[in-house]
Amino acid sequence: MEKIAIYCEFDYNNRTLGDVSYELISKAFELKGQANSLCGADFEIEAVVCADELPTECIKKAYRCGANKVVLIKNRIFNVFSQTVMANAFIEYYKHNNSRIILFPATFQGRLIAPRITTILDTGLVADCTGLEFIIKDRELKLAPTRPTFGSELMATILSKKLPECATIRPNTFKIKEYENLNGEFSEIDYFTYPDYRMKLLKTLVDDKEDISDFSNAKIVLCAGLGVANNKNKEYIEKLQKLAHLIGAKFACTRKLVDFDLVSRANQIGQTGSTVQADIYVGFGVSGALQHICGMKNCKTIIAINKDENAPIFDYCDYKVVYDAKTIIDQLLTSLFDNE
Amino acid sequence: MNIVVCVKQVPDVDDIKWTKENNLDRSQMLSKINPCDEWALDYAIKIKKSKSVDNVVITVLSMGPNQAEETLRYCIAKGADRAILLSDKFFAASDTLITAKILSCAIKKFIPDFDLIITGQFALDGDTAQVPVSIAQLLNLVDANHIVDVYKIDKNQTLVAQKIDNTIRMVELQNPCLFSVKKECDKTYVPKIDDYIRAQGAAVEKYGANDLEIQKEDVGIIGSPTVVYRSFRPTIEKDTVEITENYSKTILDFLLKDK
Repeated sequence: MEKIAIYCEFDYNNRTLGDVSYELISKAFELKGQANSLCGADFEIEAVVCADELPTECIKKAYRCGANKVVLIKNRIFNVFSQTVMANAFIEYYKHNNSRIILFPATFQGRLIAPRITTILDTGLVADCTGLEFIIKDRELKLAPTRPTFGSELMATILSKKLPECATIRPNTFKIKEYENLNGEFSEIDYFTYPDYRMKLLKTLVDDKEDISDFSNAKIVLCAGLGVANNKNKEYIEKLQKLAHLIGAKFACTRKLVDFDLVSRANQIGQTGSTVQADIYVGFGVSGALQHICGMKNCKTIIAINKDENAPIFDYCDYKVVYDAKTIIDQLLTSLFDNE
Repeated sequence: MNIVVCVKQVPDVDDIKWTKENNLDRSQMLSKINPCDEWALDYAIKIKKSKSVDNVVITVLSMGPNQAEETLRYCIAKGADRAILLSDKFFAASDTLITAKILSCAIKKFIPDFDLIITGQFALDGDTAQVPVSIAQLLNLVDANHIVDVYKIDKNQTLVAQKIDNTIRMVELQNPCLFSVKKECDKTYVPKIDDYIRAQGAAVEKYGANDLEIQKEDVGIIGSPTVVYRSFRPTIEKDTVEITENYSKTILDFLLKDK
């Protein structure tokens, strides 16, 4: 039976697997069903984790998302992140398992580990996929990842001529789906290795200059575009931040505002920023460059406000408001204060 | 100290032109140095000017068509000492693995005594951030990404600031090493007319597959493990509802629905 391996990242601070692991296992489970209906192929899904130990809750959740097997590569030195050590540990696992497909999270760690692993295996790697499916090409089952390119102006579906077929996927791209009746088996590999002494983490400091925006649990996102920053003025950006604060929403912005140094990059949504899956997204003066769209198009309800009725964002939204976004920000702030 | 800076000439993605058939019209697009790569060069120049290490020689290395020579001349105007262009029709359409192999091969051959490789975090056009990591693996180096500052450097070690979300990690790398930058350097040199004149007269070394002793079938579209199966402009069919009155009231209802 062929295997889909998921490289799962252990979060040592919270002693759990990051959500992206479950997102990838869920997607692999969907792919497994697709392969079966396309050509009757049967895949086994293996979630592979480098850590010192793995809480039972994480293992069970991985099963519920569709993992047939959870493999823990065990060593205490994994608590200090080292891309060289972890890449080699995964290679050791791979040698005995020969997975046909490997999926990696496109996180800070995943981005350092995945290309190392695929370079060692002398195979291809498709970065930041937003779509994953199987196709039949020349009578063969192929993994067909799709990714945005050219500043997201173009989507490309990329196939691998070599095995394993590998891809990285950003957090919040796919949804977690759990099934209570699914179960799997757990195995542990005691992996002995030395740290890589060529690299040392001397200190970790908190950078308070930039408040980091974690969009993973955001229910409502209010996004500022160039339309609220005429003449590179911060007034309405600050008003929108205040509005977001008042209603408990996350403030976000487009790339242009970061380029003009009006907002910190931590708030940027889009291909070179964060990806969000909020219940409600409201774009204030956002024109809708594709690099931005691909970071927010999975939000459930998209409301776009722009005075230019030809703004591209209107092709992607559920609710369209052709009006000056700044005026609406003022009106919203006024009515919030009236409510109180 | 020998510093290698890898640079790429990229189309300006903010100025994309399309043909009638909905393909990218590259002939109509302007090219420029990939912004992160220019910052990488700025860091190299900063190290050179800091005098914390002796005899710094900065080599800029690029793979691309002949026009990329322009980008390399710009790098010389900024302060690079040596420029190498890897250009060959067989290199065209190389994916990230093959690009990393070609660059690593050139580094081994033409800059074998390098101490440091600096790259940009990602390229504007492809945006995979994979080539630097692959180079590090192929040359057996330690690497760090998301670099926002170089604190200290000597012949044996490089101390860098790596920014991950809201934390700064101070990482010490043993040379030779590789790091990729994602933030502008605090010191950037803007070339003056004299610099451009000097750069026009400077030599740009050019090498192809034969010079690198690379087999044609191992590179380019044939040698690359990945292949573009199809490309398309994304379209979405949505039933958009236009709100035509009581804008702020309607929006507020959405925002306060769960409250």
